[in-house]
Amino acid sequence: MDLFKVKFLNEAADLINNLEESVLSLENNREDGALIEQIFRVMHTFKGNSNMFGFDKIGEFTHHLETIYDLVRAKKILLSQEIVNITLFSVDHIKNLLKEDKEQNGEVLAMHTHLLSAIKEIIGKFDENKIEHTVTNLTDLTGGKMNTFHISFQPNKDILIRGNNIFYLLDDLLALGEGKAFPKIGNLPGAHEADFTSCYLEWDIFLATSESESTIKEVFMFVEGECELKITCISKDCNSFKEDKFFKEASGFTLFSNNSVVENLLKQANEKASMPADAKLSSKTVLSNKEASNIKVSSDKLDELMSLVSELVTTQARLSQFSEESKNTELNVIAENIEKISRRLRDNTFNICLVPIGSMHTRFKRLVRDLGNELNKEVNFKVEGAETELDKTIVENLTDPLLHIIRNSMDHGIEKAEDRIKSGKPANGSILLRAYNSGANVHIEIIDDGAGLDPEKIKHKALEKSLINEEDKLSKKEIFDLIFLPGFSTAETVTGISGRGVGMDVVSRNIKDLRGDIVVESTLGEGTKITIILPLTLSIIDGLLVKIEHTHFIIPLSAVEKCYEVKHEVFENNFKELIILDGEQYPYLYLRDEFNLKNNTPTIEQVIVVKNNDKQIGISVDSIVGEYQAVLKPLGKLYRSVQTISGATILGDGSVALVMDINQMIKQHSIQYKELAYEK
Amino acid sequence: MKKTILIADDSESVREVVSFTLENAGYNVLSSVDGEDAMKHLNGLDIHLVVTDLHMPKMDGISLIREIRSSEHYKGVPILFLTTESQNSKKEEAKIAGATGWIVKPFMADKLLSAVQKVIR
Repeated sequence: MDLFKVKFLNEAADLINNLEESVLSLENNREDGALIEQIFRVMHTFKGNSNMFGFDKIGEFTHHLETIYDLVRAKKILLSQEIVNITLFSVDHIKNLLKEDKEQNGEVLAMHTHLLSAIKEIIGKFDENKIEHTVTNLTDLTGGKMNTFHISFQPNKDILIRGNNIFYLLDDLLALGEGKAFPKIGNLPGAHEADFTSCYLEWDIFLATSESESTIKEVFMFVEGECELKITCISKDCNSFKEDKFFKEASGFTLFSNNSVVENLLKQANEKASMPADAKLSSKTVLSNKEASNIKVSSDKLDELMSLVSELVTTQARLSQFSEESKNTELNVIAENIEKISRRLRDNTFNICLVPIGSMHTRFKRLVRDLGNELNKEVNFKVEGAETELDKTIVENLTDPLLHIIRNSMDHGIEKAEDRIKSGKPANGSILLRAYNSGANVHIEIIDDGAGLDPEKIKHKALEKSLINEEDKLSKKEIFDLIFLPGFSTAETVTGISGRGVGMDVVSRNIKDLRGDIVVESTLGEGTKITIILPLTLSIIDGLLVKIEHTHFIIPLSAVEKCYEVKHEVFENNFKELIILDGEQYPYLYLRDEFNLKNNTPTIEQVIVVKNNDKQIGISVDSIVGEYQAVLKPLGKLYRSVQTISGATILGDGSVALVMDINQMIKQHSIQYKELAYEK
Repeated sequence: MKKTILIADDSESVREVVSFTLENAGYNVLSSVDGEDAMKHLNGLDIHLVVTDLHMPKMDGISLIREIRSSEHYKGVPILFLTTESQNSKKEEAKIAGATGWIVKPFMADKLLSAVQKVIR
């Protein structure tokens, strides 16, 4: 059963999400009958499944919740705000109950009792409901002792139409003890008038059994409404039945042997009705008839696939390098083909691992709703581009940062309704989450129409906390970036929601861990836009393989703009670390200096112009090897503090190439040579 | 010959439990996610029993029962539906629509098999 339990839990998570989303939509559209119907159905399924897989508590809980929606469905009670609130609390509670270890937790138990009583109170207001409860069957007291029953069974003519088989039924009955069934054929018409789908027989059954009357009735459970059934206890023991005398007493019934013509007739009729005449197709057709549909795959399997593809790509790189060195044309062709195929395989696998951002949608909606209530602010939350896809690992790690940003917007950004009206804004605030693809990146914007960030206030705060110096000249953007520093918090009073100063720096670190970037734009009085820029995937990137002395480096291809050849003396005789390429000035980073490689300087060097956001810089390397698919491996603990290197990859010959973090390089460069930062 | 049972339930876990139990008991099992999906299987194949849930998206259990009862080939096929104790009105409705019997949720393997064996052997 445990195997199924896992399935159940997965499914339960889906159902609960579905429920939560439906309830949230229902809140804004309370008359929507289809939605109520859907909620009821989800609860119903959920109740049934929980009971079946041993989650009795959830089953019982959902049963009461379902009753409410049954009443709402039948328009017997009105869907009040109270009900919506209780439902949402219940959703949270059920989530807790699903985690079995939490089930015994005192807090959860208290919540359980509290919610249950609240739910019952709502139901209790509606008296009629109380009648609906099923009355427990009173078992009669004849069980345990041998009794002989006479059962008169008169099926309706159409009893066979619903697929019941009377012979199975009689078999079951006689299996309860010792007995005999005597058919009455009085109603049987002539062969030419008989309708093979009708039942013309009636039975008298004598049964000696230790079972109770209710057990006998149970045999007839499915045909209860389709026959006349009389069960009488004719003797308190079974002896009279076994004696011939009994049969004599029972004379007047026609005796038929088991293989009688009538039985065959009926059997045939029944089989004919239950089996299509020309049904001879093999089960293979079933498979081909099935439409292509989605399947669920556990994420472990996907991770495994992903890591296998990574290994394949690494091995393929070795093959390519080997074939190039071997100068064997045939091998070259094969290696090239494998490269092509592995690239496609890689892209396909990426695609499989992508999930739409919309999958987080419900959580955000719920947060905005709950916080809105708590802070007494009405906020409309909208999502654009919910279908935009990202690697599932990124999406998983993105939820918390996004939740935090939205929380900040709700708490600090959006003003109170009266303040909003004073400044000529609509009373309801709005938060927009917009996601879209841009090259090899995905942009996610959180835009609110709140008060916006006040650069003066931020600067003041930063000075107070000595994060900056008085003489620092900061652009507006740099001031906004200060909010990502550890220990920075502008909230005047610390609320339970935000303002503890541990927020935005964690957000920015999380985003950095995903190799992403975060940008703040804000206009005082009009609102704030926070843009998160993320790579599509984390594990393999297209890169430019370059060489400085004997060390290989990888520059992500998405950052590369142009490459130039430059004579070494240009670097020695330049002014203010600027280089002129194609008539334009670029600040540059001389990597030989950066990485402390001072020997064997080549006379001609390469400058690669890289771009991040709106900044471009040139970086110098000895030579460019070519394009390269790099499987990213994290650097060990010791090197985690090296910011300009985001990881490493293994080359075809087994040596290691370091992957540059262009974003960080540009940032560090502009800090070092602030006045030179070349903004475009 | 193995008998074939068609199950219709929108819940994957119920489908799995039911088919696991029935397959172990020696039946062929076909699965479908709702009434519409189930009807796709009823295209001339030998189906000896249909087990259906009542609440399903697209086509619900009651409509499925009616569809089967009004079809030429399958009108005599036994149909069991899955229900919870509380829904007596639904039980009536399903019976009138032509269902053979029912299985009360939650059920364990023996309960399911005994219900199935009431209608097919």
